[in-house]
Amino acid sequence: MSNATLDGKSISSEDAYEQAAKILQEASFPLVAGLGADVAGAQAAILLAERLRGAFDHLASRDSLTDLEVLRSAGVFVTTPNEARVRADLVLLVGPGLQSYWPGIFDRLALDKETIHGGTSKRRVLWIGPKRNEAKLDGVEIETIAATEQDLAGVLGALRARVGGRPAALAPAALKKIDAAAEALRAARFGVAVWAAAGLDPLIVEMLQGMIADLNVTTRFTGVPIGGRSGATGVLQASAWMTGFPPRTGFGRGYPEHDTWRFEASRLVDSGEADAALWISAYDGEAPPWESDDIPLITLGPPGSAPKRGLFIAVGKPGENYDAVEFAQETSSLVLRRAGAPAELPTVAEAIAAISAKFSEDLPC
Amino acid sequence: MLTRLHGGHVVDPVNGVDEIADLYFEDGRIVAPEGRAADVEHDVSGHVVMAGAIDIHSHIAGGGVNTARLLLPEAHRAHRPRPADTPLSTAGWSTFETGRLYAQMGYTTVIEPAISPHHALHAHLELADIPIIDKGFLTVLGNEDFLLAAFRDRASQESIVDYIGATLEATRAIGVKCVNAGGVDAFKQNIRHFSLDDEVPEYGLSSRQIFQKLQQAVNATKIRHPLHLHMNNLGLPGNVETALATIDASQGLPLHLAHVQFYAYGTEGKNGFSSAAAKFAEKINANKNVTVDVGQVMFSDIVTISSDVMKQFNSLPGGRPKKGVIFDGDSNGLGVVPYSYRVSDFFNAVQWAAGLELFLLCDDPMQVFFTTDHPNGAPFTTYPEVFALLMSADRRAQYCSRLPAEVLELTNLPALKREYTLYEIATMTRAAPRRLYGFEDRGQLGEGAVADIAIYKLQADRAAMFRNAAYVFKDGEFVVREGKVSHYTRGRTLRVRPEYDRQIDSRLDKYYEGLYGLPRALFEVQDAALPASARFSEVPCRH
Repeated sequence: MSNATLDGKSISSEDAYEQAAKILQEASFPLVAGLGADVAGAQAAILLAERLRGAFDHLASRDSLTDLEVLRSAGVFVTTPNEARVRADLVLLVGPGLQSYWPGIFDRLALDKETIHGGTSKRRVLWIGPKRNEAKLDGVEIETIAATEQDLAGVLGALRARVGGRPAALAPAALKKIDAAAEALRAARFGVAVWAAAGLDPLIVEMLQGMIADLNVTTRFTGVPIGGRSGATGVLQASAWMTGFPPRTGFGRGYPEHDTWRFEASRLVDSGEADAALWISAYDGEAPPWESDDIPLITLGPPGSAPKRGLFIAVGKPGENYDAVEFAQETSSLVLRRAGAPAELPTVAEAIAAISAKFSEDLPC
Repeated sequence: MLTRLHGGHVVDPVNGVDEIADLYFEDGRIVAPEGRAADVEHDVSGHVVMAGAIDIHSHIAGGGVNTARLLLPEAHRAHRPRPADTPLSTAGWSTFETGRLYAQMGYTTVIEPAISPHHALHAHLELADIPIIDKGFLTVLGNEDFLLAAFRDRASQESIVDYIGATLEATRAIGVKCVNAGGVDAFKQNIRHFSLDDEVPEYGLSSRQIFQKLQQAVNATKIRHPLHLHMNNLGLPGNVETALATIDASQGLPLHLAHVQFYAYGTEGKNGFSSAAAKFAEKINANKNVTVDVGQVMFSDIVTISSDVMKQFNSLPGGRPKKGVIFDGDSNGLGVVPYSYRVSDFFNAVQWAAGLELFLLCDDPMQVFFTTDHPNGAPFTTYPEVFALLMSADRRAQYCSRLPAEVLELTNLPALKREYTLYEIATMTRAAPRRLYGFEDRGQLGEGAVADIAIYKLQADRAAMFRNAAYVFKDGEFVVREGKVSHYTRGRTLRVRPEYDRQIDSRLDKYYEGLYGLPRALFEVQDAALPASARFSEVPCRH
């Protein structure tokens, strides 16, 4: 199978790069989206968007922005999974499906082991709104507070109210359970809440962080966010240092502007504002979210992920087919992932460089 | 290609030069012409010629700075149209702008002072993205279990020296900073105030003991930069006593005290807050083993970025605007809280005055360093205005006329008529940083030095003069003309590599496996993680 296709038919890489450059250069407002890439790939993609005076967005921006909106409107308390591992005497799990967003969560948080720093003790584990049968872990007694996804905000609101000694309109049995949980949170030495923005409404994260702030009046409490898929947090970091802003940023006016509505990829495509798109999903070949199927499209993805339509160029999987820097959930930091299965495929950054090399001279820088 | 700068007033304190003189450079280095004719000539008459300036403490990269960017989207809207041929030159507060704006002021080396060891790679990726200037960072130690446990268990100084060496190697740092020694760990154990003789629970060590042992060990590594200390009680009324006690505890060994303006406070007056700069400066003048940087406050919107997470937590209620990020990191901490210094605010005005008093009352410009603790006291873009204030008593008087009257009763500033000379400015921003970091190749214009040269058009308005360097050469390349970057280059990242016994590495590997169940290598900065633009240069240790 060729590493490049056009409308499903194999073409040479050279032709693919040539055509990709032509599509992007002829567009008046091209979109660089998906951005499922390592840090170097994201940097190349953002520079490309700037050079073309286009816009860029990440496929999991919705999740990054859920946490970010709370951060930039109210502020947050956060820690690393490793600090939670060694110190958290109480862990508050919030929302369903945490293990699906972070498969290594329980191994990393070592909930079955005693704390090491700040005194050794068994941990207390609470889970608000787990899925059915989800709150089970060998050697750990998990206290659950049932809540459907629709109930979660209300239950968390009641818990925050009771932490602060304010009334909550609940049936006596439910109130008793919430009060016991509130008391546990207040009694924690170093409590840590864990949530995944992907499953939550921003108001829930804001409620949770508000409660954490309240708890810090008398004790220590903080949080571990589970970041978005396809390298979202690493891309967010690179975007911030390069432009000052997270993804959903455009360069149309000749300087970066950030607007979570204007520069949302699907809206740009479906409204017709963007007239060409480079879609990058190097980790798993996730398909674009927009409905329109007539925008000139270039896709960078792993082999085998070619869409039926448009131009496709295969790239390696970051950290698997090539050494790559990405944000590691287990350390809350940027780390180098060594390639376990090196492959003769371009990196995202290399593919973008090869496209850029085909631009005609009259494009600035 | 031999280049000659002629007719300029060369101010080069390291070589005792303060006169009209020619300067030659070739292949990126200052040279003696040895009778050869220059290939390129620049007439710089009417200009002052200095070595490129060195900023010893400015938060320009890493997780804290990046968090501040994300926290404050309103703070960095970009307004300028895009100049041609300059990628990302219009992003408001980006890595790119950091290099551009520093270069335009004639700065060619900048040190980021606070990177947590586990976030070193992130910092290096940002540094590699900053154009033109050379840079480096201090790695933060003094609150981590490995070190505190070693102190508690009376480990040998040799093993501490090895540990520091291994950490500097893994993080590729240029020196060691300690922030509120022990206080960051104590905050995780719900302690809200932590002073010099308070003990960290579980370790039974006072802040004094931690910083002293770390200071001794850093000295023993033979790296040139002494321990860079962020003391306890930052920002609190009466904290000058902590600062004086810290100097008394400095053991006669080299010690750098960071942003000391934030420790120059007494408790006089009806607000219980006053400038104690005079008392502090007297102590600094009498203790030559100690160096300080000022951390001058200017009246502007800023954001505070600090590893002193206890202090940052306590600052949250006073945030302007009221929001912030409190991060309990691995054996470390970080707080990011926005703030706005206002000329009409009594406390802010006292802070502004106290900083200038320190500048003016510390006798030796080799001992006191020019910083605003960017962005904590003021953005680095205010430096030209601060230079102008130091050089003109009249300009200070103009500012003082705008301050609340009660402030003037609680500072000595109006009585201080000292005006810094260009020679003293060059000492403070070139010669002194050179010595503080042990740079052998910069901070001076003698033969063999790198051709990092800042040339300013002599003007009565010193702020205008320093705001836009007329010409800047970086490694001999012409990078700034008339205050605008004319050519982008890639600088280097400066690091130290002291000798240490590599047996510590296996001990640390075991420690990481035991504590985190992760390989220590995951936290190391490796070549494969860095872009081609990341070029390193080694700063030598003491022989």
